[in-house]
Amino acid sequence: MTAAVARQQQRSDRLRLLVQPIAVVVLVCGVLVWAFAQDLDSIEKQSLTASSLLSATWDHLVISFVVTALVLVVAVPLGVVLTRPWARRVAPVFLGIATIGQASPAIGVLVLFFLATGLEGLWAAVLPIAFYTLLPVLRNTMVGLQGVDPALIDAGRGIGMSTGAVLRRIELPLAVPLILAGLRTALVLAVGVATLAVFVNGGGLGLLIDTGYKLARFPVLITGAVLAVGLALLVDWLGAVAETYLGPKGLR
Amino acid sequence: MTFWDFVADRWNRLVGEALLHVSAVVQCTVLAAAIGVGIGIAVHRSPLGSAVATALTSAILTIPSFALLGLLIPVLGLGAPPTVVALVLYGLLPIVRNTIVGLNGVDTSVRDAARGIGMSRAGVLTRVELRLAWPAILAGVRISTQMLMGIAAIAAYARGPGLGVEIFAGLTRAGSANATNQAIAGTLGIVILALLLDGIFALVGRYTVSRGIRGE
Amino acid sequence: MASEIELIDVTKRYPGTGQPAVDSVSMTIPAGEIVVFVGPSGCGKTTTMRMINRLIEPTSGRITIDGEDTLSLDPDRLRRGIGYAIQQAGLFPHLTVGQNVGMVPGLLGWDKTRSSDRVDEMLDLVGLDPGDFRDRYPRQLSGGQQQRVGVARALAADPPVLLMDEPFGAVDPITRGNLQDELMRLQAELRKTIVFVTHDFGEAVKLGDRIAVLGPQSRILQYDTPEQILANPADDTVAGFIGAGASLKQLTLLRVREVELSKAVTASVTDDPADIRAKLTEAGRGFALLLDDRGRPVSWVHARTPGRPTPVGDSVTLQSTLQDALEAILTEGGAAVVTGSRGEYVGLVEIDTVMSTVRRLREEAGA
Repeated sequence: MTAAVARQQQRSDRLRLLVQPIAVVVLVCGVLVWAFAQDLDSIEKQSLTASSLLSATWDHLVISFVVTALVLVVAVPLGVVLTRPWARRVAPVFLGIATIGQASPAIGVLVLFFLATGLEGLWAAVLPIAFYTLLPVLRNTMVGLQGVDPALIDAGRGIGMSTGAVLRRIELPLAVPLILAGLRTALVLAVGVATLAVFVNGGGLGLLIDTGYKLARFPVLITGAVLAVGLALLVDWLGAVAETYLGPKGLR
Repeated sequence: MTFWDFVADRWNRLVGEALLHVSAVVQCTVLAAAIGVGIGIAVHRSPLGSAVATALTSAILTIPSFALLGLLIPVLGLGAPPTVVALVLYGLLPIVRNTIVGLNGVDTSVRDAARGIGMSRAGVLTRVELRLAWPAILAGVRISTQMLMGIAAIAAYARGPGLGVEIFAGLTRAGSANATNQAIAGTLGIVILALLLDGIFALVGRYTVSRGIRGE
Repeated sequence: MASEIELIDVTKRYPGTGQPAVDSVSMTIPAGEIVVFVGPSGCGKTTTMRMINRLIEPTSGRITIDGEDTLSLDPDRLRRGIGYAIQQAGLFPHLTVGQNVGMVPGLLGWDKTRSSDRVDEMLDLVGLDPGDFRDRYPRQLSGGQQQRVGVARALAADPPVLLMDEPFGAVDPITRGNLQDELMRLQAELRKTIVFVTHDFGEAVKLGDRIAVLGPQSRILQYDTPEQILANPADDTVAGFIGAGASLKQLTLLRVREVELSKAVTASVTDDPADIRAKLTEAGRGFALLLDDRGRPVSWVHARTPGRPTPVGDSVTLQSTLQDALEAILTEGGAAVVTGSRGEYVGLVEIDTVMSTVRRLREEAGA
């Protein structure tokens, strides 16, 4: 990347860091004020209560964060293992599976998992979404670890650090920025796909969209959709903040 | 009925849906590319314009596709219109971003040289800058296509065309004999089509990127 | 504290290659000396060095340090007892300077206070103010400062043996000269056993107590003092590599006045040490030459210890031969002071000047 392009990327990142939370607040407040100002019929009133909105949002967040935690626990160690010299040969196989996982339509993965296992609810949503979002974290972990200057690993070994210490104290800290970027991508993907959890009875904001659509109650549909948009923007913003403040200081 | 019997049995219908799926994605990508490259060209000289366009497109990319589709239904109804708008909107994002990155990545000295030998501004753009930015733009189009293949499946929810129909049919008829076969046919079909399209893009790249800037 | 290193029939053969990368090398590296491995790139000098701390395991042969077989030790423990400095320093970018230098003491289980005292002591030793540098990150340092931190890290646990792989290869010539001077000052104090790898013969002559000129597969072409190698190259290959040979003898025919002299930073013996230090900082140099009231050279002082001068030993006159100058350089280290007819300072002859003259004579003879 040329310096000009990098500079521009930085500028646009800063812009988002600033504007995105404002957009979230405006969107969410706007839609809530709009929805409750409508002349609602009894069905709409039932769907649009503070507690039902909160519980849908809460379910949505739970799915997203359980997915992200699962991906973190699976993809980072897997990425570490696949970058060890003795595992170089099998790495392409796992990357290939993860790539196909992401190339397949999210709704297809979700529905197939549901039909194959008969599971419903949280785990019926979480497991296929986790499979679908594994790739960004796996790939970024591997790229991050492979990108560590071999001279630093050599220096670490040369001054007497064990392979474990080199991994823990040099390789992983240096890969943290990329791993965080991968996690942010995964989290945003998870929030997006979690809107589909409603199809396997997993709840979430998709429930409002689906209810509003099936019963032709557009205020419910729009409220659900806008809340989902707001949540995605908010989570992405939190990810950006984490990326900015959690990376190793010496690299910033 | 085994999966292969199912496919043989429904072959004509599946092929029809596959064609609709691909043609929706391809047409929307072409439209998105035309608009996206246009936006990229319009803003790339202004640092603020580029930053705003990049920030806006990246932010829109985070919006859940099901939510966007839901928002379009009250406005545009069902069927083709919401599908096309959603696909074009998502398709725009990687293309705008990559066009700006590609155009800004062109070396200033190359641009100066082109002006210096007497090319007009439009000449510099079409004969030098766009040629050099083409690999980046093409990569953006390729990412868009892959993404749209998956999003088009969700469009079936709003009665959009394509293989998503099979997936949703499998879901609503869960428990019946062919439910799983339908879902597999839809999902697998989309994966295969996505890989095919990706292969075609690789070929297009091979034949349209100047050999002088190909990374070989 | 220093240790003798012995290599006995050390061979490294990579699987699937016909010829060994290092073929049956035997040599003794005496305790407390700087031994420089010098040779063309790809000759296996780095491989040979890396077998001493077992970053590369020898295929056959033995390496002992103070008589103890390195293969009998746990490799990580072995390396904690051997200092290691590499090109571009290899500092960990996510750790502060203090954390980098304190890494080995930490690995050895030193307690916090002892470690941090040691870090400050080491930074001070390599000429970096601990208060100023301890909490900086490597990217906030210049190339030369990074190399100093690299050396401080290598020395932090007071290892008897130090391995240095082209540690000054990535910095500009002036900084490199200063770092070399600094290393020689440190070595005069510490007397470690240092194995130093370089492809620059000038650097080898300046730093080495002994030089091992290595050929392909790390074959030892000549292993001797710099004086001996310059005066009597073992064969044409060595002569070719050091750019000397017959042309070295012609140095007796050339006078110091015929070559370009370089300038030292000078000061008066009566000057205030603080002023001298300021002058050196401004010039970016490590040493100043002190002159008496009649302009005659008296002593050298280092920027870090302006109150403790060392007397000028051998000096040469404008009429001396370059051969004499070379001898003076080898005893003085790096450069010889040139005096005029009344004993007054007129300039310096540096090793690089002599080496390039030798090269020129050689090219003229060949042409």
